[in-house]
Amino acid sequence: MRFQRLVQIALFVLFALLLWQAKYPLAEGLPVDLFLRLDPTILLGTMLVSGTWITDLFRGLAVLLLALVLGRFFCGYVCPLGATVDAADWMIRRKKPGRNGNAAEGNTRIQAWKYLLLFAVFCSVLAGVSLVFLVSPISLATRFYTVTVYPVLLSLADSCLWFVENISSYLGLDGAGYLQIKHVSFNANVFTAFFVTGLLLLGLLRPRFWCRNVCPAGAMFALCSRKPMVRRTVNDRCTDCGACIRSCPMGAISNEPQRTAHSECIVCLKCMEVCPENAVSFRWTFEKNAAPAVDPGKRRLVLSGCAGLAAGLLLKTNVGSVQGSAKDLVISRVRILRPPGALPEEAFLDRCVRCGECMKACPTNTLQPVWFETGIDGVWSPKLAARYAACEQACNLCGRVCPTGAVRPLSLDEKKYAKIGTAFIDRSRCIAWEEDRACLICDEICPYNAIVMRPVTDNRNTVPFVNENKCNGCGYCENKCPVLGEAAIRVSPHGELRLFDGSYERTAQAHGLVFHAKGGLEESFSFTKPKQDGNTSPEIPPVPSPDQLPPGFTSD
Amino acid sequence: MNRREFVRSSALLTASLALPVVWGHETKAGGAPDAVIAEGDPGPAVRAAIAGLGGIEQFVKKGDKVVVKPNMSFSNPPSWATTTHPDVIKEIVSLCVAAGAGQVLVLDNTLRDREMCIEQSGIAKACEVFPESRVLGLSEKKFFKDVPVPEGKELKSTAVMKDVLDANVVISAPVAKSHSSAGVSLSMKNMMGVVYDRAVFHTLYDLHTAIVDLCTVAKAHLTVVDATRLLSTGGPGGPGKVLQPRKVIASTDMVAADAITVDMGEWYGRKFEPGQVKHIREAHERGLGRMDIDKLNIKQVQA
Repeated sequence: MRFQRLVQIALFVLFALLLWQAKYPLAEGLPVDLFLRLDPTILLGTMLVSGTWITDLFRGLAVLLLALVLGRFFCGYVCPLGATVDAADWMIRRKKPGRNGNAAEGNTRIQAWKYLLLFAVFCSVLAGVSLVFLVSPISLATRFYTVTVYPVLLSLADSCLWFVENISSYLGLDGAGYLQIKHVSFNANVFTAFFVTGLLLLGLLRPRFWCRNVCPAGAMFALCSRKPMVRRTVNDRCTDCGACIRSCPMGAISNEPQRTAHSECIVCLKCMEVCPENAVSFRWTFEKNAAPAVDPGKRRLVLSGCAGLAAGLLLKTNVGSVQGSAKDLVISRVRILRPPGALPEEAFLDRCVRCGECMKACPTNTLQPVWFETGIDGVWSPKLAARYAACEQACNLCGRVCPTGAVRPLSLDEKKYAKIGTAFIDRSRCIAWEEDRACLICDEICPYNAIVMRPVTDNRNTVPFVNENKCNGCGYCENKCPVLGEAAIRVSPHGELRLFDGSYERTAQAHGLVFHAKGGLEESFSFTKPKQDGNTSPEIPPVPSPDQLPPGFTSD
Repeated sequence: MNRREFVRSSALLTASLALPVVWGHETKAGGAPDAVIAEGDPGPAVRAAIAGLGGIEQFVKKGDKVVVKPNMSFSNPPSWATTTHPDVIKEIVSLCVAAGAGQVLVLDNTLRDREMCIEQSGIAKACEVFPESRVLGLSEKKFFKDVPVPEGKELKSTAVMKDVLDANVVISAPVAKSHSSAGVSLSMKNMMGVVYDRAVFHTLYDLHTAIVDLCTVAKAHLTVVDATRLLSTGGPGGPGKVLQPRKVIASTDMVAADAITVDMGEWYGRKFEPGQVKHIREAHERGLGRMDIDKLNIKQVQA
């Protein structure tokens, strides 16, 4: 097997292992988002659109500069999407060897698309809307493997469990019988699968269609590797047989075998392998052997820039957008709960590259990709699906694995103060309020002691009340509510606390919010101050006086 | 101090003075006490309490399959007193292993995320040292089997953990805590963690009656109540006021163990009679066990 293939497979396995490791408990110091931080589109796009320097992304710059030396090695060796495209090509192109269109007229014209797309994306940034997430290859690969492949693999493993159980019980081992595989499901997984499948099927037209013609990260590497220090050279043993032209997956050798479009070459070494004369080598040289570089053309560049700007402006003026002039309305976001520690919405959307790393890490599976609920520019961003699962109090993984800081990495203590929203009780659906049943599940499950059961005049049983100042919005109440269909207690983003910087704990306390019980001792609670802005919550009746019985006890 | 408290404390004082004599006599006569209250640190108190009942060998025979049912439904640290103390479970498992148990399963169908619960409660780590033991949060349907509840008044059938059904010995080891619907959550309420669907206990049935119904089919052979810490308010999930009674109550009678804990503890700053908790009174009336603790032979030991 070729050197490139071995390295590519090894690095893909590393990518998969790191993604797999984005789980609870998170291994300390393991850079599970390493590959995402290597992506130059994430680096530049996110920093440009958010207008901030994100230190954690500097590795992307290093990789980009390395292209000055090694060419587009990233595409051929490191990129997990490149590996996926190669695998797909291997499956769908086996009957078409050689028909790669490298020598075809218009090849370079199509290859220029990636520059146009890159330019369009950066122009959309001028309109204040980041479309980086649509085109970043590492984000796309991470999202694809998280949202579509991972749950399918788990489900397959689950259906193979009986087999493992039978074998191990035959061998006299009892442990396998207790294996439980987590069920993980994602919103918009079918949509994501279609999106990526479509992209991979482009391989029917040309090998590595995405990489050579579309990928903007590829375009950025290409810009840096017009004259790499390690480059393809051909010696005079070359007989012009053209084997290398036919084998090149990138169309980097178009007419003369001796000349190479270095910005298209991913250093896969295939040409070296197929050369019957051993005339091809890759080495440190300054030999002038470059084929004319792919030129997008000024007119097309201007057009694509205008298209990007227009796309940005269109998205910005969409009614669902929070990034536009209508941001005071924030209409469509009203029902969306963001992960704890998510930056204020506008900054959050600027930074979030929709990689899905947080969704992979989330131990309860409550983090789900948004589809179109928050407008087109919110697609694939994470939301809390409280009815489906809740946010675990003792977990802060979403912020810790986020490569761009869209969700801030918070300590467990700080995270408790990052209020996600507030629960409210729909009394007409609540079986304690409406049917006078002894249901306390929301109170029982609430990790923040924000729900209290109190006697009311019309009911024999106690009924739940929400103390809004203690509610973190974690969604456990909504998740466990036994009422079928829509829960009788639901979390809305009302009261969410999202800070660009600074301490959540101090800000929360300044608002009179109390989410943390130290050591579980009630004495250490600082009890809530009344809200200044007019309390809209129902008055919570006082704790039963000593001559009233606490819940669950009878008088004799 | 009101009259009731005075009567109780003088009775306890008299009993504690008289017990060594009375009980020493009874042991010679071969009668084990109905319940033992051991005071001390979690591990030693468990050991002393079970020893007081005649030793774990009374329950666990060589090669037995033992299921220990702690309360580990919440991913809170032991200091919150919402979950059984890891040292309590560790000691129980250790005793079972020493008695030759073939397998000791520590099981719960947890309310919160199962992996986080067994980790945060400290119970998984406490039992790591015993290769014969396994700490598991079982929540998938395949681990449960539907069983009829012939004596059920509300609950006619329910899906119970298969491991509980085919265990030789079931040990209920709850933490002592208040419960905003059941009053207290002790050994009987603890058994709701061996069923698949607990929501129906709230939505379809009278909770107290259903708990008693459940205990007619999922009955513990031995009950060890962890009252080393007691969650006096804010139960079952906490956070709430945590008391430190430093007691472990062991009995073969779930109702008696629960009744003793209610009587011994302080709940919402007050004292209660066992009969004031409806499921305890109902279990007594239906003959599941005894809550008339003043008529029981209760041994007190220091660990």
